[in-house]
Amino acid sequence: MKKYKTKDVLKIYNLPKEVQFCKNCTISNQRPRISLDNQGVCSACNFAIYKKNKINWKSRKDELMKLCDKYRKKNGDHDIIVPCSGGKDGSYVAHQLKYEFGMNPLAVTWAPLKATQIGRSNLDNFIAAGFDHVLGTPNPILTRKLTKLAFQYQGDPFTPFIYGQYNFPLQVALKYNINIVMYGENGEVEYGGDMKNAFRPTRDLTDADKHYFSNIPPEYWTKYKINKYDLKPFMAPSLKSLIKNNIQVHFFSYYKFWDPQENYYYCKEHTGFNPNDERSEGTYSKYASLDDQIDGFHYYLSYIKFGIGRATSDTAHEIRDEKITRDEGILLVNKYDHEFPKKYFKVFLDFCDIKEEEVHSIIDSWRSKHLWRKKLDTWELIKPIWKVKT
Amino acid sequence: MEKKIRYLGAYKTNMESKDLTKKVEKNIRIIARLDIKGPNLVKGIHLEGLRVLGSPNDFARKYYKEGIDEIIYHDCVATLYGRNSLLEFVKKVSSDIFVPLTVGGGIRSLEDANKLLRSGADKVAINSALIDNPGLISQIIGEYGSQCLVLSVEAKLQKVDNWEVYTSNGRDRTGINVLDWIEKCTKLGVGEILLTSIDREGTGKGSDIELLKRVNSITKIPIIYSGGIGTPEHFINAVKNGGADGVAIADMIHYKKYNIRQIRKAAIKENINIREYV
Repeated sequence: MKKYKTKDVLKIYNLPKEVQFCKNCTISNQRPRISLDNQGVCSACNFAIYKKNKINWKSRKDELMKLCDKYRKKNGDHDIIVPCSGGKDGSYVAHQLKYEFGMNPLAVTWAPLKATQIGRSNLDNFIAAGFDHVLGTPNPILTRKLTKLAFQYQGDPFTPFIYGQYNFPLQVALKYNINIVMYGENGEVEYGGDMKNAFRPTRDLTDADKHYFSNIPPEYWTKYKINKYDLKPFMAPSLKSLIKNNIQVHFFSYYKFWDPQENYYYCKEHTGFNPNDERSEGTYSKYASLDDQIDGFHYYLSYIKFGIGRATSDTAHEIRDEKITRDEGILLVNKYDHEFPKKYFKVFLDFCDIKEEEVHSIIDSWRSKHLWRKKLDTWELIKPIWKVKT
Repeated sequence: MEKKIRYLGAYKTNMESKDLTKKVEKNIRIIARLDIKGPNLVKGIHLEGLRVLGSPNDFARKYYKEGIDEIIYHDCVATLYGRNSLLEFVKKVSSDIFVPLTVGGGIRSLEDANKLLRSGADKVAINSALIDNPGLISQIIGEYGSQCLVLSVEAKLQKVDNWEVYTSNGRDRTGINVLDWIEKCTKLGVGEILLTSIDREGTGKGSDIELLKRVNSITKIPIIYSGGIGTPEHFINAVKNGGADGVAIADMIHYKKYNIRQIRKAAIKENINIREYV
């Protein structure tokens, strides 16, 4: 079996060595690019307070209507792209733009690595609610190769999906001559990260590599003998072509108050959305990230690398959204964050054509000494949130 | 004492219930279901996405004044957090409302049941703890009687005619078949069943009538049906076609789509034997 050297997680992700938790939520300073202020409160929590108190949502809505008025085509051509998996967030945005703002959206889905039944059924229900839709499915042989490579060398099997999720809608925008791509929430701002885009509706097209791909763009994989032309479906169009065609990426969360739980209610009523049959592994919720059988490994690797699992991410934003308290959040993190995604483990092994022992060896190569220690053959977090006195 | 006399119909015991219905028409109950999370009344869809609606005791008092027959307090995150936080609510509200109060969520032992019953609950509803320890049934009924113990079942359809028991407010599967489980617990002596359809819960689109019929066909103890009751017609259907003894409503009254008076009026019009309330 191939040996995997321990990675320098601190250096790769530029993390602080001393783990510190936000005083308001459950996130720690190990989330890349997040910052804690001198009161010990994270940028996402500060933004949540700001958005609840300072933003004039009426004028933001007017701003969106103005944008729509400017780009509305009224001739049957699509005038806005909504990247959408059929989940509650994208479906909400698409439905709002079509029925509240009178746009003619083209919903664009980048295929999951390995779709779930509930995800596919939600996508079908969404399309059936009255949408034009384009599905991008990259060559599965290449996708599987990339998934394996990304898991082996980047510690995140989800990377090929993330490439397409951001880049494919831009390709479609160019092909269909559509100027606006409207995402749901700005994750960097809502969940913690670089705050440079907090006060504007758009993002810099050049931020993608840093914000979404951990500085590893699709072309990186040519060094593992992947042909650069084969990678094209995963790549963004040239910056020059995007600028020339005035293609802009906007976030709906800038224009309307973003509350994932309310999106669930909205989609339950308008787009036939259904939650999962049971809670997702690693967390307590049933309605988020349901589309892909592989994504549990994305969250699990985040738990290994940063000590931030799926329950931490979910509780952190639910605390900010005032759905749960911090104490409840800590209980949930303790209960679920460490849960290994065993439901689709066999699927994952087949998909990546990899052996179980190799998976564990890769996982362990991402355990950083500043986060983990081994006690009687079992790994444990040195400083989990439930052991931190506040 | 007052409430026990006034609402005797709600106190049918295991042995009396269905035999009684053969002789006289059974007494049907309108029951308000209050799902509680921390200090708040909440409501989800399919038990997910719990939206905060307000103070549970305010809602309970309001429903009492409007003539509700029974109230269910359900701590829907008790198992999730490993806690039971209803004691204080129950103490406060039971001095103001005089209809039977069923309390569920996080009851794991005879001691837990004891505390709630002494604080003013009339019945306790239990799901997870009975799955982990069915012996708790005999302990509770040995101490307080069958009429005190409600088997709470969260049911989700898996394939035709096959429902699975869930725990933790519809989060976790158990692999147990709903009908097998109810049959077993009926034999062990539970007094009543609170049957929640996860597929219908919060949708307001009507009951899972097949589930209700199937459960009704295998047990003689009273069934409170919960899930999807969005109109008075749904209520009537659950009683007339499903055979429910009581119907728990939430969404419909919490969001003020209908009030209790309208449901009662519609039921009386359909000759359902329901308490008259002026």
